[in-house]
Amino acid sequence: MVRNPQNVTLSAAGVARGMTRLLPICLFVVPFGIAFGIAATEGGIGPLQATAMSGLVFTATAQFAALDFLNDPVAFFSLGLVALALSGRHLIMGAALAQWINRLPPGKRFLTLMFLSDANFADTQTLLQRGDTDLGPLLGGGLMLWITWVASTGIGAFGGDLLINTEAFGFGVVMLCFFAATAFGMVRSTPSLVLPVFVAIGVSAATLPYLPNGWNIILAALLGGGVAAQCHAE
Amino acid sequence: MLSDGSYIIAVSVLALIALGTRLSGAFLMAWVTPTPRIEKFLQGMSVSVIAALVASALVTADLKSFAATGSAIFIAALSRSVIWAMIAGMIVAAAYPQIF
Repeated sequence: MVRNPQNVTLSAAGVARGMTRLLPICLFVVPFGIAFGIAATEGGIGPLQATAMSGLVFTATAQFAALDFLNDPVAFFSLGLVALALSGRHLIMGAALAQWINRLPPGKRFLTLMFLSDANFADTQTLLQRGDTDLGPLLGGGLMLWITWVASTGIGAFGGDLLINTEAFGFGVVMLCFFAATAFGMVRSTPSLVLPVFVAIGVSAATLPYLPNGWNIILAALLGGGVAAQCHAE
Repeated sequence: MLSDGSYIIAVSVLALIALGTRLSGAFLMAWVTPTPRIEKFLQGMSVSVIAALVASALVTADLKSFAATGSAIFIAALSRSVIWAMIAGMIVAAAYPQIF
């Protein structure tokens, strides 16, 4: 990781590169978007409304979880808490990217953060650790994910009764492999991260049965960061 | 069923929380003077959030997912390529039910 990166840019070429880099991942987002579109319309939400929801919220986990709450009368407070837990990790990713992001002009900063998601964050980590200072790939990857997510929700919501078995497409497995390989690459280039990673793995797995969904990941990330800072101090 | 009014409020709540969490991490860090220790903390958090997502999913996953993730890490170690790692994981996930 570069300290105090200079000349942070948001190039169009970088955006295009990010879109291409995440294309393989996006193929596996499609069945999930379709499944969300179907589940939402079956839950009594109009197809246009379901598609708009994907465009505005753009957080698959929070959207699927929200479907359980979307019946009148809506428990808005509980809905908000669940959404906060499931998108809370964006706050952590934003903080981790701050030393690059905050060097962009406010408009570009806002635009890039709007499309922050797990996959483009993970992909960009590999590039930033290499010393790149172009945030184009972060925005491009996010745009690609957003377009795919909205379009596939629309297909599911308007296309109706297609039978989709998301497990058969192995979306979960592909995402897991992508994240695992990315984390492995980060640890290899910075061996001092071995301990924080094991702490994070242990904490998230051990607290999963006790913490509401999403909070275990936030806790694991905070403790992993704490261990990394502590190792540095010693 | 869901009325239009409830839909608008619910989606606004979800959208504001999603956008708020996306923006506030970088926004809050603007007030923090980066020291090497804080940078280590952030770097530790970056890799931890990714590793925690994997671990959390694997807790309730089947053996197929474990085999696929394990092979992906193995291939990532050999090839230094995330794409090859993903392809290896997919092949293992597809082949697993045929073998076991």
